[in-house]
Amino acid sequence: MQCDDLLNYLSDYIDNDLDEALSAEARAHLATCPNCKVVLDTTMQTIALTRDREKRVIPAARRQQLFDQLQDAFLNQPDKTM
Amino acid sequence: MPEAEFTDNAALLERLRERDADAFRQVFEHYSDRLFRVALRILEDEREAEGVVQDSFLRLIESLDRLRGDAKIGTWLYRVAHNAALDRLRRRRPTQDLADEAQDDPGDLPPPVNLVDWTDLPEDQLCSSEATDYLDQAVAGLSDSLRAVFTLREIEGLSTAETADTLGISQSAVKVRLHRARLTLRERLADYFSEQVGLGDPKQA
Ligand SMILES: [Zn+2]
Repeated sequence: MQCDDLLNYLSDYIDNDLDEALSAEARAHLATCPNCKVVLDTTMQTIALTRDREKRVIPAARRQQLFDQLQDAFLNQPDKTM
Repeated sequence: MPEAEFTDNAALLERLRERDADAFRQVFEHYSDRLFRVALRILEDEREAEGVVQDSFLRLIESLDRLRGDAKIGTWLYRVAHNAALDRLRRRRPTQDLADEAQDDPGDLPPPVNLVDWTDLPEDQLCSSEATDYLDQAVAGLSDSLRAVFTLREIEGLSTAETADTLGISQSAVKVRLHRARLTLRERLADYFSEQVGLGDPKQA
């Protein structure tokens, strides 16, 4: 496997989507290619940082308002199956 | 881990049709913030994103009796919210074409340029508020098609199939776009963090 191939397969490798043969080839390449190893490590770190990013939520007061309003619509919408 | 659906989706839909208040609360609790984030990543405006959440649930309420028994409520809601957010964006910038160059060709990926290893930086540097802002801007700077996939797959944790259903694209397009988005963000973060590596550790310079 060459650097180009490794780059193409990188996400599949990270997501465990490669078959065993390709995965082994990727591991072998990574063991001998420091550049690709850095790309792998920094890509995984990038993914980890975005996943850890505190998730934004609807401001609490507004969320309650929204819920009350929607629940009202939900309960008052005629049930056509009845 | 896919989080798009409740395990017993059909039963939940049945309870919603019977106007079961608990079922509605459950769906709202599970999806409101998720839909908010999907819309926020497109619109970058909290009030507008709240409007999208509202519109999406109203659509669900109106559509309850028409949805098929095996309809996936989560994917359905994500799709409605995504499209509602895009509609609002079009109204905001009507002259601009949203259909950005869909980059679904798996060939010709841009080769990685910055090869500094910044993964050993201390946690407080990786997660500083400046770094976090930088990360948000980098995600916001992705093209619309890459950001949509990245948000659903990486941030909201949807599966490839769920993301494909939500966006109405193939699973292979989801994979290619996710890959491009990751590499693009990696490059942006590498530019930011590699400068800090140089400062503290002369052997990397
Ligand atoms: Zn290599």
